[in-house]
Amino acid sequence: MCEPSTGAVKLSFWSWVPGIDDAVDLWNAQHPKVLVELNTVPGGNQGTYQNLSNALKAGNEPDLAQIEYDTLPSFRLQQGLRDISHCLKTDTGDQFFDFAWKQVTFGNTGVYAIPQDTGPMAMFYRKDLFEKYGVEVPKTWAQFAAVAEAVHKQDPTVQITHFPQRDTGWFAGLASQNGARWAQIDGDKWLVNIDDAPTEEVAKYWQNLIDRGLVANMQGFSQQWNKALADGKLLTWVSAVWGNATLASNVPTTSGKWALAPMPTWKDGEHTAANWGGSSTAVLRGSDHPYEAAQFALWLNTDPDSLKLLNQNGGLYPATRAGLDLPFLKQPSQFYGGQHIFDVFAQAADNVDPDFIWSPTMTQTYASLADGFGAALGGDSTLSEALVGAQEDTITAMRLQALEVEPK
Amino acid sequence: MSLDTTESGSNHASGPSGRPARSENPSRRAERRAIVGLLSPFAILFLLFYIVPICYAFVRSFFVTTRKGAFGPAEDAWGGLSNYGQALKDPALIASVGRVLLFGFIQVPAMLVIALTFALLLDSRTARFKRFFRLTYFVPYAVPVVIGAIVWGFLFTPGLGPVADLIPIDFLGNTWVLWSIAIIVTWTYAGYNMLIMYSNLQAIDQDIYEAARIDGANAWQTALRIKIPLIRDSVILTGVFSIIGTLQLFAEPQVLRSISTSISSTYTPNLLAFTAASGNAYNYAAAVSFLLAMATAVLSFVFLRLTQRWENS
Repeated sequence: MCEPSTGAVKLSFWSWVPGIDDAVDLWNAQHPKVLVELNTVPGGNQGTYQNLSNALKAGNEPDLAQIEYDTLPSFRLQQGLRDISHCLKTDTGDQFFDFAWKQVTFGNTGVYAIPQDTGPMAMFYRKDLFEKYGVEVPKTWAQFAAVAEAVHKQDPTVQITHFPQRDTGWFAGLASQNGARWAQIDGDKWLVNIDDAPTEEVAKYWQNLIDRGLVANMQGFSQQWNKALADGKLLTWVSAVWGNATLASNVPTTSGKWALAPMPTWKDGEHTAANWGGSSTAVLRGSDHPYEAAQFALWLNTDPDSLKLLNQNGGLYPATRAGLDLPFLKQPSQFYGGQHIFDVFAQAADNVDPDFIWSPTMTQTYASLADGFGAALGGDSTLSEALVGAQEDTITAMRLQALEVEPK
Repeated sequence: MSLDTTESGSNHASGPSGRPARSENPSRRAERRAIVGLLSPFAILFLLFYIVPICYAFVRSFFVTTRKGAFGPAEDAWGGLSNYGQALKDPALIASVGRVLLFGFIQVPAMLVIALTFALLLDSRTARFKRFFRLTYFVPYAVPVVIGAIVWGFLFTPGLGPVADLIPIDFLGNTWVLWSIAIIVTWTYAGYNMLIMYSNLQAIDQDIYEAARIDGANAWQTALRIKIPLIRDSVILTGVFSIIGTLQLFAEPQVLRSISTSISSTYTPNLLAFTAASGNAYNYAAAVSFLLAMATAVLSFVFLRLTQRWENS
C-alpha cells in the first residue's frame, strides 16, 4: 500500500513557518536521495489555503503542505489529504499529545497528517501593573471579571484585555475549555452545535464584560492593540504559547514586565486549558512518493534537531511529549522576568480537551462568528446571537457542500 | 504566397468591384493584418482572462455539489437556478447590496462634484501652478489601493492618527466606517476623474470662450453655462465608471477589516462572493458574481439612459 520509491526522490513542500528552510536544509543534507524543495508561502488564511484548493482542483498540488488543525477537515473533504497510516509504524501516534493526534486521525479512520506544533493557552499578564493596581492574579473567570472591574474603576482608560473580533480561533479555544462540542460525526452525518450550552456560557460571560465597558473593542495584532499594550492600557492577554513571541516583538518596550499564569478556569481548583492554533504537515493526494513524504513529515516534527530549529526560528511549540523536554524549552525567558514560561504551557498542553473537533467548513463558521462578534461589539447585537447566526450559517455552508448535517 | 502574382488573381478571385482583389488591393490587406496584429495581444488576453473565466463561472453557477458520507468526494450535479434562488434570498447579500447602493448615492455625486470643481479650477484662466496641482490631485490614484487604505487606516485609528484625534468621530465604528471608506475612495479617484474632465476641457476650442467673453459672460457663467455642458460626456463617463467601481467595492473594506471590528465578511457583494469562494462554495460564489455583473450592467445602462434624457431635454 505504501512502498518506498526506488531511486532519487524530489518532494515539494509548502509552508509558512519562519526559518523552516534551515530544518529542510538539514534534512536534505542528511537524506541526499530524498530532496525536499521548500516553497515559502503566505499564511494559510492569507491565501495559501485558497491556492492549495485551486492546486488540488488543477491536480498540481505539492507533495506536502502545512495545514492548521482547524482546516484539516476542509482539506479532507476536498479529498486533498493522503491517508499515510500504512507508511508509518503503528505506534507513531504515541509520541504526540493526544489532542493533536486526534486532530489528524479523525476518529481513528486513518492518519491524514503529522502534527507539527500546538498552541496551548495561558494568561500573559502585566506583573508590574497588577501590583500597581493591587489586584491578585485571577485563577477563575469570575475572578478575572472582578479584576477587570477593579482596575477599570481605578483608571477608566485601563481595561483587562480586548475582545478579539476576528480571532475566532481564540473564542473556539475558550469554548472548548468549557467542554463545547461544535462538531461531531455520527456515521455519515455531521452534528453541528456551535450555540451549545458551554459556548453560550462563554458568550454570556464576555457579553457582560463588553456591556460594562470592561474589555476593549479593537482588533488583536493591530497597531492600535500594540499601542494599548505598550501604554499599559491592557493588562492581560489570554493567548497561546506562540503569543510569547508576538508580545516580545510587538511591544519590546515592556520587556521584563510580563509574567505568565495558567488561563482562568470556570471552576475553582480545576486545570482545564485550551488550544489556539497549531499546524500539521500533510501529505497531499497527488504525491507520487507518499512513503518518503510521510518519513520527512515525521522527521520534521519529531527529530530533536529539527524541533530545535523550528522553535528557534519560527517559535513553534512541539506537538510531541519528548519535544517539551528539550533544553531550549527549559530556559527562563528574559521578556517574562526570567520566568520559565514553557513549564506553564506544558501543563496547559496536558489539559486540552482532546475531543473537540472542527467542522469541514470552519472558514465559513469563523467568518460568520466574526461578523456576529463585530455586530455585538458595535452594540447592534449580542455574542449569543452571533452563535445562533454562526450555527445557521455553518449548517447552510455544509448543506451547500452537500453534507448531511443536523443541528444538535 | 506572394502578392504580385497577377495572373492567378485576375480570373476568378475578383473583389466586389470586379477588380482582382489580390493584386490590386495590397494596402488594404496589409492594413487588415496590422489591425489584427495590433489588436491580438489585447484580444487574446481579454479572451483568456476575462471572457473564458466569465463563461466558466456562468456554467458553474448552474451546478450544485453532491456527495455521500461525512468526508465523501464531491460531485457536480445540474442544479438549474438553485444557486441564484439561494442568492436572491440570502439576507447577507441583500444587506450588502443595500449598503453599496447607499454608499454610491452619496459618494459618487460627492466625488464627481469635487472632481469637476478641481477640473474647472485648473482650467480657469487665473489658475497658477497648473502642472503642480494637476499632478497633486492625480497622485492618490497612483498609490496602490491597498497601500492607500492601510495609510488611511492609520489616520483613522484613535491614538495613532491625527484625523481620529482631531475629529471626535469613531471612524472605524459601526456608524461611520462606511463613510470612512467613502473618504478613501473619494481621495483615490477624485483626481483620476478630474483628469478625464480636465482633458476634455482642454480640447474645447478657445474661440468659444472668446465669444463668451465678448458677450459679457464672467468666469462663473462660462464654467456653468459653457464648460460643464460641453464636457457632459466625460462627466457621464466618469459617472458610469464610478457606479461600476462602487458595486465592486472590495479592496478598501478588505484592508480595513483587519483594524475595524465593524466590517463583516459580507460587507459588500464582492466580499461576500470572495468569502463564499474561500469556503469552497465555488458554485454559489459564481452565481453571486454573475448577479453582481448583471446588476452592474443594468445600473450603468439605466444611468446612461437617464443622462441621455437629460441631454435631449
